Amino acid sequence: MATANPTMFQASDLNQHNERVQRRYQLLFGLMTLLLITPVLLILGTLVVKGGGAISWEFLLTAPTDGMRTGGVFPALLGTIWLVTVALLLSVPIGVFAAIYLSEYAGDNWFTRMINLAIINLAGVPSIVHALFGLGAFVLFFRFGTSILAASLTLAVMTMPVVIVATRESLQAVPQAFREACWNMGATRWQTIRRVVLPNSITGILTGVILEVSRTAGETAPIMFTGAVFFTPFLPQSVFDQTMALSLHLFVAATQVPGMAEEIPFGVALVLIALVLTMNSVSIAFRMWLRGKKKW
Amino acid sequence: MNTDQTAVLPQPTPQYAIDSQGLNLWYGAFQALYEVDLRIRQGMITSMIGPSGCGKSTFLRSVNRINERLGYVRIEGSIHVLGENIYDPQVELVQVRKQVGMVFQRPNPLPVSVRDNILFSHRLHAKGGGDVHQGTPDEIVEQSLRQVLLWDKVKDQLKRKATELSLEEQQKLCIARLLPVKPKMLLMDEPCSALDPKGTEAVEELLWELRGQYTILIVTHNMAQARRASEECVFMLMGKVVEHSRTDELFVTPAHRETADYIEGRYG
Repeated sequence: MATANPTMFQASDLNQHNERVQRRYQLLFGLMTLLLITPVLLILGTLVVKGGGAISWEFLLTAPTDGMRTGGVFPALLGTIWLVTVALLLSVPIGVFAAIYLSEYAGDNWFTRMINLAIINLAGVPSIVHALFGLGAFVLFFRFGTSILAASLTLAVMTMPVVIVATRESLQAVPQAFREACWNMGATRWQTIRRVVLPNSITGILTGVILEVSRTAGETAPIMFTGAVFFTPFLPQSVFDQTMALSLHLFVAATQVPGMAEEIPFGVALVLIALVLTMNSVSIAFRMWLRGKKKW
Repeated sequence: MNTDQTAVLPQPTPQYAIDSQGLNLWYGAFQALYEVDLRIRQGMITSMIGPSGCGKSTFLRSVNRINERLGYVRIEGSIHVLGENIYDPQVELVQVRKQVGMVFQRPNPLPVSVRDNILFSHRLHAKGGGDVHQGTPDEIVEQSLRQVLLWDKVKDQLKRKATELSLEEQQKLCIARLLPVKPKMLLMDEPCSALDPKGTEAVEELLWELRGQYTILIVTHNMAQARRASEECVFMLMGKVVEHSRTDELFVTPAHRETADYIEGRYG
């Protein structure tokens, strides 16, 4: 219309009010995000500044000497790699397969709902409880003694719920229409899972594994009673040996040794974080490789 | 009756592709089909029309037994497909799904390449030595795509993810991927309702192309489509078959009052 009201498209009081409210919330959310990342950056920064000086090839590749006041962290680094690897080998297959059963095969009834509830609750059990369970079950009852096997089993039991929940969620994110399309062509459940469901959820499953790696490498309580020792002059030869571990080594270096140079515990923490990041980037690289292949 | 798959004795060609007798179907306590007796001729396109909830999709889904997946479905009566009762206890569902292909309202290609979509079903069924296309994978892909008039458009993008194609192309692909396992029959549940008029026209053109080779049963909400694209037409109402005759007869001289009212748009 030629005689249109010139103020028709101007902001009304209500528009301006709404815009102000929206900006306020945007600011709130932004601040919270900032608040969230500040401690992370501070921690990483402190570690690098205070512990960076301790890092050297010698620090990484030699054993501690003089009651841990000098020397390196090699046995603890190796021990943590052992513990995480064995724990992953035990918990990932069981966790992923159980999640596939719960998500793709089990019907939705009170029994499976109870199992799901139990799994979620298990994820919330404090790690010291798992430690005592591991001591009673694996060290004493199954007579594995304090060993990598007992410690890794304890870690595996502790982190399994995380794997199951992450796997189940990524399986359920695959649209039901894909499954039905397969079934309608005469595919069995397993063929559907193998060819369509898993390839489309593998990324999410690997994310769960990454979370598990971080948690497993950092835990101290569950391995203290079951397989990790403050100090041993021997490197582990098999899963039935005891071992040192970075997390426990950090605890000891920071609290139990008088006259410890300040940079050593910070250096140990830095090595632990770097190890977790390295292991995670391996699975991230694997994830990208899978995506590149597109089939699996 | 003999449903043993190894018995390949020549049988007299049954007159009807689908022959349902006294078919009653309940979803829980709700009865969706009442004593449906339908005989669908071989090699023809038969359309099913009727208002929403009249049971036409339910009937379609009973012909390859995907209704049962819901768990609370109860069925009485029988459906013979090419002379064999598919509700016989010895029937293997995987074979039913192979012989009776289904196309859905929303195109549902798998999230893999165009080529892998075509070969998916073939890979499932070829190993057992069933009656499937015997060509090389490349031949199968080309012939199936040619049959659905899609080859020229996608021949250079066979590696592309099928879910990135246009809806019309996706729907044609969903038809094409059924063909390598040589189904006896194609069921289509409103295959054009997610497509624009041009896509609809293209799929209808394709139906005429496939006519004769396959028996096609198509459910549609679109009466113009039923009229254009089918040779026989079934009108259903409240779970019962009201009328089944040649499409031109049904639309020009309907035998029942309800049919006339529906096709003239007085309800629906």
